Amino acid sequence: MSTTVAALPGGTQRRWLGAGWRFLPVVIVLLIWQLTVDLDLVDRAFLPPVDAVAAALWEMTRNGELALNLAISVYRAFAGLAIGSILGIAIGLAMATSQQADRFFGPLVATTYSLPKSSLIPLFILWFGIGDVTDIVSVVLACLLPVIVSTYHGVKAVPALLVWSARAMGTPHHLVLWRVLLPGALLSIFTGIRIALGFCFVLTISAEMIAAKTGVGKLIFLYGENGAYAYMFGGILALVVIAYLADRLLLAVMHYALRWHESLHTHHRTA
Amino acid sequence: MNRFIPITARPEAARTARRGIAALVAFLLYAYPLLMVLAAWELAGWADLVRPLFLPRVIGVAQQFWVLLREGEIIDPLLVSLYRTFLGLAIAVVAGVMAGLLMARSKWVHWFLDPLISVGFPAPKIAFVPIFTLWFGIDHISKILLVAFNCVFPMIVATYHGAASVSRVYIWSAEAMGTSERAMLHRIVLPAALPHILSGIRVTVPVALIITFTTEMIAGGGGVGAALMFAQRFFQTPTVFVYILVMLATGLVFDRAMLVLRGRLIPWQDESEEA
Repeated sequence: MSTTVAALPGGTQRRWLGAGWRFLPVVIVLLIWQLTVDLDLVDRAFLPPVDAVAAALWEMTRNGELALNLAISVYRAFAGLAIGSILGIAIGLAMATSQQADRFFGPLVATTYSLPKSSLIPLFILWFGIGDVTDIVSVVLACLLPVIVSTYHGVKAVPALLVWSARAMGTPHHLVLWRVLLPGALLSIFTGIRIALGFCFVLTISAEMIAAKTGVGKLIFLYGENGAYAYMFGGILALVVIAYLADRLLLAVMHYALRWHESLHTHHRTA
Repeated sequence: MNRFIPITARPEAARTARRGIAALVAFLLYAYPLLMVLAAWELAGWADLVRPLFLPRVIGVAQQFWVLLREGEIIDPLLVSLYRTFLGLAIAVVAGVMAGLLMARSKWVHWFLDPLISVGFPAPKIAFVPIFTLWFGIDHISKILLVAFNCVFPMIVATYHGAASVSRVYIWSAEAMGTSERAMLHRIVLPAALPHILSGIRVTVPVALIITFTTEMIAGGGGVGAALMFAQRFFQTPTVFVYILVMLATGLVFDRAMLVLRGRLIPWQDESEEA
């Protein structure tokens, strides 16, 4: 979507120009932010100027505080996402291929799908204490459901003809799963994982803000409570950038894994 | 003749009874995993496998639900949370639909908003709780605006995709007949994008609920989320369970409601079509 400039042939310079043109609006927003503060349209106490935030970000990066807490949060988020995705794909696949599994997991998924998983954080704090386990378990639960649902729908949508052909050629059951159903459902599975990726950060940050000793959510919260707003904004900006990069990375992995998939070239759109 | 009435009436009664039993059996067959979870939960408490502080008995939770309900500790916070959820959602829908339509119709709006959305959509906006609390205080406004901030991105994307996929033929025909840009949006693009917009709303309702509850849990200031955190702080585990179940039920009810509403508003389109 709108990356036509970047897509034109013409070397790296052209591509950088394209990327610059594409992200110009972000720069404009930052400029407007800086100007509103410089022109005293809003109180500095409420909105620190961009240069102050940049200085705070630099300071946090230099003393290692930001990198450490970001690493802790990203570890929790990705560990939960990985466990949740693997479990989710397994359960979704089981539900789509076995009626018993469908009958068992179906009602559970349908009832718990719309539960805000963050409501379980206080309970997990009670059970597992404050820290990694609580955060990871809540992330796993949040990531599990979208992956189950998308895997289920993806596998169900694999044309029966493909499965029949594989069977007719004597493919054993586990290979049908592995070579036919999973690749066929991959696009849908990735869509589910992309939703889960969003959840994994939300849950980690929420859990850290509710109760934690470490993590970038805790860092942001502490700076907010102490009135160090430039630092608070710095932490939030860093988090936004990390989440954006993770989303892009997932899209890149998806494109690589699905490079054989015909629908990708027409289907793909920037969210 | 009179003698025949009870005879004809009896099968009627028997049929309703049989239908009732069949419905019950169907329900049990459907809900057996849920009942198993409930049974395992109750059994763990009954066999003293876990301390009631960590996992209260099912009966205890049910009793606590009744107590809280009578004291108005469920309805009142729920109304507060729902008010925040739906006002925030309404703002997001209006703003998102407008932005999405403009993006589909104007190259420049598209150029400006596209990178902002691709950065803003995946951002964990719950991290903005401290900022919104700083700017708008701890009461309704900060929560409503945070809900709107969260929900506006999926609404823009859903509307844009709907509006951008409107058949060119309609647009060309309208242009050929001299339709103005305003009328084009109102009469052609908006109705054609409506199914996407409604799906967008359906996806966004749970998001709005999650953000309201979570923000209340983090920042306090009333609502079901704050009540849940308050109970947890005093280790009132049955109350914690009651509020979790209230959130679960709220999510379920509104998800069903959206499905029904969608079926009513656009019966010609099947939900599974664009899944």
